[in-house]
Amino acid sequence: MNEFRATVAIVRRHIDRHFAIDWAMQFGIVAAIAFAFTQTFAHPLFPLAIASVLAAASAAERSHAESLRRLTFFAMPLYGRQLARAHAIAPSLLALAIPAGYAAGSIARTHEFPAALLATMFGAALVSTLVALSSIFRDGLRASLYVVLAAIVGVAVTLPFVLQADYGLALSAALAAIAAFFALRAFGETLARYDPLPLSP
Amino acid sequence: MKILRATDVTFVRDGVPLVAPFSLSLDAGAAAEIVQPSTRAASIAARLCAAIVKPSRGVIYVGEFETRLQPPQAKRLVGFVDAGGFEGDAHALRCEVAFRADVWNLDKAAAQSRATEILDALGDGPYARAIALALVAEVALVVLDQPQRRFVGRVRKLVPEAAIVHTLVGATAALSAPVPASAPAVR
Repeated sequence: MNEFRATVAIVRRHIDRHFAIDWAMQFGIVAAIAFAFTQTFAHPLFPLAIASVLAAASAAERSHAESLRRLTFFAMPLYGRQLARAHAIAPSLLALAIPAGYAAGSIARTHEFPAALLATMFGAALVSTLVALSSIFRDGLRASLYVVLAAIVGVAVTLPFVLQADYGLALSAALAAIAAFFALRAFGETLARYDPLPLSP
Repeated sequence: MKILRATDVTFVRDGVPLVAPFSLSLDAGAAAEIVQPSTRAASIAARLCAAIVKPSRGVIYVGEFETRLQPPQAKRLVGFVDAGGFEGDAHALRCEVAFRADVWNLDKAAAQSRATEILDALGDGPYARAIALALVAEVALVVLDQPQRRFVGRVRKLVPEAAIVHTLVGATAALSAPVPASAPAVR
């Protein structure tokens, strides 16, 4: 088994024309929001919350969930953690459209956007995405709670930066890395435990 | 060598049994069928044998690998054919074969050639395409979920040395039959 080759194949399967359209749409919508509200939402908490909430919602989107639940993936000779890493790459790249779009919209309006805020937004979006991925293999209230949890964790890791603590940016980055690691592990566990059952007749 | 050993296997979700308990033991080159009371139960039984779904009770070994503990190793030995077959067109099939070649680490050209050979032998159609996909890698066990009877014999000709298990819907033990089942599920 060549894990790298399998991972690349799965990532390529996710990154198709629809992915490019989703990325561009997400970028455009967030850029428009930023352009309209960047001066209203001057406090850094607002863009960070927007990034977290949108990233969580985007990762948990139902059509995305259906594609990940396809039986093909579960018939493959891969461990849950290997599948989790491969499945996480495309949503993580998609999540980057949110901070990039916000920065673009903000720059178009005010001609500036702090690099530290952009970096923290990237971290928040990634963490929210990785936590929200586990909601895909749950249904109903549990899935919704995972999305809420994802948004909260995404915002929580940015608090040292928002509260302007000493080394706030570094602390937020470290928290984001730790949260992302555990979120990915949890996603792997979720995949390993998931039983893809046929739909009820 | 035993390719598939299933002992008192069942699957329960939220306290409700979804498959009739079954046991079976299959050598290389042998075949067996698992009879279940509904299409859903038959599909779950097939997925249990293919290490895709983990049994709630009982144990399944594919080769020497226990499906609950070593699913990737077990899946590597299995060619699984879903009841719905493969609905994509010829282009989608070529893409899927290439994808499988990457995941199973096979030579892409050889995999495409093998898929074409299998389709030539089986004739086209969703189920035949799914069989072609399942057999692009060398497998020791073929699991066919609710195939038409003609496909079982044709798969046997394609992979004479493999064990074959297929599911079908029919009169069998009730879903709630006590474990161990009185061996009605396997003929």
